[in-house]
Amino acid sequence: MTDASLTVAATRPAKAPAAKFLSGAFVPRLIAGVTILALWEGVVRAFAPAYVAKPSGIVMAIPKVIVDPAFLNASFVTLSAVAQGLAIALVFGTMIGLLIGRSVVADRTLRHYVNGFYAVPMVVVLPLFSLWFGYSGATRLATIVFSSLFSIIVNVADGARAVPREYVEVSRSFRAGRISTLLEVVLPASMPYFLAGLRLAAGRALIGAVVAEFFTAIGGLGYFILYNSRTFHHNEAFVGVLLLAGFGVGFDMLVNGSIRRFMPWYRRDEAAS
Amino acid sequence: MTEPMLSTDVQRPETTVPPVTSQADARIRVNGLVKRYGTLEVFRGIDFEVGAREIVTIVGPSGCGKTTLLRCLNGLIAADEGEIWSNGTRVTEPIAGMAMVFQHFGLFPWKTVYDNVSYGLRMAGVPAAEIARRVPHFVNLVGLKGFEQAYPYQMSGGMQQRCGLARALAVEPNVLLMDEPFAAVDAQTREILQFELMRIWEERPTAMVFVTHSIEEAVLMGDRVFVLKGRPSSIKETITIDLPHPRTRETLREARFAELREQVWSTLMSEAREAEFKLET
Ligand SMILES: Nc1ncnc2c1ncn2[C@@H]1O[C@H](COP(=O)(O)OP(=O)(O)OP(=O)(O)O)[C@@H](O)[C@H]1O
Ligand SMILES: [Mg+2]
Repeated sequence: MTDASLTVAATRPAKAPAAKFLSGAFVPRLIAGVTILALWEGVVRAFAPAYVAKPSGIVMAIPKVIVDPAFLNASFVTLSAVAQGLAIALVFGTMIGLLIGRSVVADRTLRHYVNGFYAVPMVVVLPLFSLWFGYSGATRLATIVFSSLFSIIVNVADGARAVPREYVEVSRSFRAGRISTLLEVVLPASMPYFLAGLRLAAGRALIGAVVAEFFTAIGGLGYFILYNSRTFHHNEAFVGVLLLAGFGVGFDMLVNGSIRRFMPWYRRDEAAS
Repeated sequence: MTEPMLSTDVQRPETTVPPVTSQADARIRVNGLVKRYGTLEVFRGIDFEVGAREIVTIVGPSGCGKTTLLRCLNGLIAADEGEIWSNGTRVTEPIAGMAMVFQHFGLFPWKTVYDNVSYGLRMAGVPAAEIARRVPHFVNLVGLKGFEQAYPYQMSGGMQQRCGLARALAVEPNVLLMDEPFAAVDAQTREILQFELMRIWEERPTAMVFVTHSIEEAVLMGDRVFVLKGRPSSIKETITIDLPHPRTRETLREARFAELREQVWSTLMSEAREAEFKLET
């Protein structure tokens, strides 16, 4: 193998975007989207009261809503809380997950608690959190962490358990310390599980934030949606919903971008084919 | 073991080195080693020594416990009876001065060649400046110059094992453990790697325990060949390979090489043939 072929191998996945657009799933996807929107618009116009959200109404509402300081402020507050909560869950979830996955003692001690909490719906802990943290941002943050933490722990622990024995033997053979083995060997080897947990956690974190705002009426995107729905501004509420959906998609793109940028060895496209 | 350890030493280029007589210069000493997995006894009564500049090759049928023996030697798993000594220490966990080359390379897919090769050095706490000096040397030594930033998935099996070799050599071990290092590469690459390993070894001889399936490889590389056999297995035969060093492609053509290969082959096969006879009669 020469240097040239190596470069080719490294940059190979890049495809001409235009070709991808026309040949791929783009056209059927577009047709499906337009059909759904048209049906929605038609049904609402024919049968529903004027305040019910419809695509045309939402499009009209967008320019008004996205310059509304209340909306911008609410979005910022909620999305930054989600980011913070996710970061906390990520750090602690990874640490606890690695511990449970690689230490029999930690596994035996913590397994049932983690699985138990993983199964608890966040809605039922909200009353407790609002008692402990008050009707404040702290309750929302706690709910976000609670909703996302356990999916990371459970997935990272599964990944850490599934690390091929050979990698761990190599690190032991070279006399690596325990912490170094966890971070340099076990964690990257569990990357597929880790990413699955992270994606799951991001979705759950968004739900946690919105539910916390619904429940405690603290200001934010969730509350913005709730308030606008209750005051018959359904189109405006829907812009908030779209932003949440956009956050989900954006987060996924961020994760995929980081994989491509920082983990060239992690090639899902190659592994699949 | 009463025979002199390095009977071939006198024929080597470095004749100033006195022939190893035994104990004093043994780099590895194994006494009465027994390993069981539950009720399965893998091997028993394993006794041997490896001199400081000696290559011992171990051949044996699949599943006879070659990998298990190497893992014991490396201190990765504990034997049930007996002991292993190396460099004046009883081996109960991986010790400094020993390095293993793994059958399936054992490279970390998330590290580049450079980072894989420097791994052992970093774990040994070698200063960064020293690592930066040493890694390129070993990358060059195994012929991977220019591939420092390549990831394992971008390399062929042969290149990956070169990287595995560089990683082990980089910590400058005085004991090298090789678990069928060339079994997973194609025949041509295997031959190239064998001679390259011999060239590297001649430049800086160490004690080496080399496990292989290939009788040819065992005779080519080894100063002594251990035949591991039986259930539980043990060292059934030790064949001293009195071929001169350095071993090169020429070695393969020597009559003595063919003789020794034949000898190892018949030792290895004798039991299989006996078993066959039993079936027939
Ligand atoms: N962790 C383990 N638990 C239980 N049994 C094991 C374990 N590892 C190996 N064995 C058994 O021990 C025996 C020896 O295995 P080992 O891998 O050492 O053989 P080997 O000589 O290296 O074989 P090969 O030539 O195929 O690599 C086999 O019967 C195997 O099934
Ligand atoms: Mg083996």
